[in-house]
Amino acid sequence: MNGHDLEPHDEALERRAREAFEGSVARLDEDTRSRLREARRAAVDAFEARRRPAWQGWVPVAMAASALLVAVLLWRAPGEPPGPVVQSGGTEAIEALEVVAAGDDLDLVAEDLEFYAWLEQADFDGNAAGQG
Amino acid sequence: MSTPATLDAPAAARRVRTVRRGREEVCLDGAETLDRFLAGVERPAFRIAQMALRDRDEALDAVQDAMLHLAQSYGARPGDEWRPLFFRILYNGIRDRQRRRTVRSRLFGLLPGRHGRDEEEGDPFELIAGDSVDPARQLMNDEAMARLEVAVAALPARQQEAFSLRCLQGMDVAETATAMGCTEGSVKTHYFRALQSLRSALGEVY
Repeated sequence: MNGHDLEPHDEALERRAREAFEGSVARLDEDTRSRLREARRAAVDAFEARRRPAWQGWVPVAMAASALLVAVLLWRAPGEPPGPVVQSGGTEAIEALEVVAAGDDLDLVAEDLEFYAWLEQADFDGNAAGQG
Repeated sequence: MSTPATLDAPAAARRVRTVRRGREEVCLDGAETLDRFLAGVERPAFRIAQMALRDRDEALDAVQDAMLHLAQSYGARPGDEWRPLFFRILYNGIRDRQRRRTVRSRLFGLLPGRHGRDEEEGDPFELIAGDSVDPARQLMNDEAMARLEVAVAALPARQQEAFSLRCLQGMDVAETATAMGCTEGSVKTHYFRALQSLRSALGEVY
């Protein structure tokens, strides 16, 4: 005997205590049950919130930003072009910029400076080149 | 007396990580498993807390705190570990409340014309029989349960824990040791002494 052995009387006591306890648990009132359910839901919600990856918190922000961007694009699209308006006279500037940006024909440009100067003069005079 | 179905739930929650839906066995996700586990232990846990604290609202708060703490701190642990962890958290909360109550009763006891809560409680038998407002207290009309509660409440805290977990919750010695944060030998000693005290207190009834 190890000094902790249960006597038959103890086993009967255990059994009756367990029965009384289980009976009282089964007869809990509805209000208490309801509060326990609410507490459980709160705990499970807290568990799910903790388990959710941090980046998921940014999903609504990203979606709102995307929606805003689409709305701006749709608002700008009908009627007028989305980019800056280029008037006549500005076209040449853009073409010249493209030549410079291409970067491969700059030597040719330097060799023929006189030609380009003439071309520019002709444009200013309005088809002067064709007449001359 | 047959065992109520609700009390089988802790064992089921502890054991089952899958559930049968129709013809197939579906693996439960973490939240669902946790929900099942808590659904199984919430009522017995409440009654155990109520027996220790002798106050319905404090018992509800203690169970709620324990659920939340388990979910937040140990929800990711294997489900098999939840039960002893949950009751360990619950008993820590119960002890904290009992300490606060003792301090409060001492402070109020110092004030003239005020009595501590322990003094107001008086005879626990009268408390159980005379409280007709709290529905939970009405359940204690069962004389056996009422006497058991009084007798358990009179036990030292560690003996209460050992008795509640081993006998009322049906935990084995190892689980009880984990829940109580002590050795299995200590559990056996506390439980044996608890039974001795209860035998002498309840011998006539039980």
